[in-house]
Order: sequence, then structure tokens, then C-alpha cells
Amino acid sequence: MATTATISISSDIAPGFGGISESMTLTQAGTLTDIDSTSGFQIRKLSATGAVDLITMASEIVEPKDSVASKIFIRNIGYRGVIDKSVGVTIGVNAEPIGLLYGGDWMMMPLTCIDADDITANPTTDDTVVIEYVMFFEEA
Amino acid sequence: MATTTAAVTLTSDLLSDEMSVNATTTCMKAGTTADGLDGMEYGYLDLVTGDEYDLIGATPTASKASKLYLKNHSTDETYFVAITQGTQAIGKLYGGDWMFIPADFHDAAGEIAVTANGGTNKICYALFHEGITKDASA
Repeated sequence: MATTATISISSDIAPGFGGISESMTLTQAGTLTDIDSTSGFQIRKLSATGAVDLITMASEIVEPKDSVASKIFIRNIGYRGVIDKSVGVTIGVNAEPIGLLYGGDWMMMPLTCIDADDITANPTTDDTVVIEYVMFFEEA
Repeated sequence: MATTTAAVTLTSDLLSDEMSVNATTTCMKAGTTADGLDGMEYGYLDLVTGDEYDLIGATPTASKASKLYLKNHSTDETYFVAITQGTQAIGKLYGGDWMFIPADFHDAAGEIAVTANGGTNKICYALFHEGITKDASA
């Protein structure tokens, strides 16, 4: 057992596209050794526009190693069981907006984990929305 | 309506009890439940070391609900592809790693760029979008 992630994408946009199904085991940079640390599974309720940190790199209890093979999973799970595709949350790294997670959308992304590269969430509306996330990293 | 779905299963034994997360999303156009993403670009290529390359050879419509998948298919675990957006380093995908992100492409500086390290990396990518502008022929 380790930390694994499997993605399956299906689409009928392009005729003949056979889909994507891939798995990865999260390992330490440049090795086959399993990744060894996690932020734990967390949720954050947001009810107003304005960027907030999901992960403040300099404040992690276990210091992540910089510029290696860290990953983060983030999902917009809506609020109280209602997933609203019109409510988006912009996920950013440092001041750079990566993209919008609408209701139900998820992402898996590598991270640098350097102190300046905090992971931010900024709702597009004042509607309440909950973000769940977990970071996997190497201990410094 | 075109339908694109993306599912993930994430498991880990790093916590006191095994964590298992399953999530599926249908990729819709920005802010709607009525219409799915209807364009895509799919590629599989060798990425040589030395230079940074824009991943997408076109200009996707900015600030929409595009989704980008990228996998490093290199079999050598020491090889990696560094990912940047504009001037911001995002992270590294080592051999076997994949990512799936909402891609904002907020302006000309919002392009996703890749740089191979260690040797020639083999990558696969797929962009699901709601409109692009092809680069003009030189």
C-alpha cells in the first residue's frame, strides 16, 4: 500500500477518442520510494469573495521539502449536498490564478512547496461553498 | 451536448486509517449545467531538454472552464517535466506522474509551459475547452 491516484477520462467530443485511464503511485522525487508526508484531509468553508490560503507553506507543521514531487488534490464539493455548477472557486499558486473549480470539479496538481507558493482559493460569488483538499509531500 | 467526464480514485495509507476518495465530474462550460465542453486537443510527443515550450499550440479562450490533463510517460523515474504558468513555477511531474487542472489561460502570460529535465521526456496531454484561436500561419 502506498499513495496512489487513478484518473479516468471519457469524452465524446472527438470521434474515435478512446478515453484516458492512468494510475500513478506518489513517490519521492527521482526515486521509487513512496511519498512520506501529508497535510491530512481538510475542508474549508468559504462564504465570500476574496482569496484565502488553503495551504500556507511557511506555516505547515511538518516542513515540506522544496521543489520536489509534492502533489495536491482539491475538490469543490458544494454546500450541504448541493453542488452548484455556477459557483466557482479560483485556485491559485502564489498570486497566479490556475483555474476555476466549479461545483463538483476536482484537480490534482504538482507543487513546488516553496514558502512563497501558497495555495489560494477565491470564490467568484458570496454563495457558500466547501473546498476539500489534501497535500502529499516530502518532509524537509 | 458533448459529454466529458473525469473521475479520480485517490488512496493513501499515510493516515491512521486508510484514506480513499472517489470523485467524478462532468466537465461543463463555465458556470452552466446546460452545455458541456465541446472542443479538445490531444497530443503525445517527445519533449527534448534545454528549452521551455508552450504546451498548447493555440490560444484557448481565457477564463473559461477548460481542463488540462498531462502525464509524463517517461519510464525513468529520475526524468521530470517542470510545469510553469507565466512566470510562476507550478511543480514537477516525474516519470509516471500525471496532473489534471482547471486551466484559466487568463491572458497571454497564462500559457502552460513545460521543460524537460534528465533526458527526452515522453508526454501525453489533453485539453478540453470551449474555444481556441489557432495561431496564424507564418
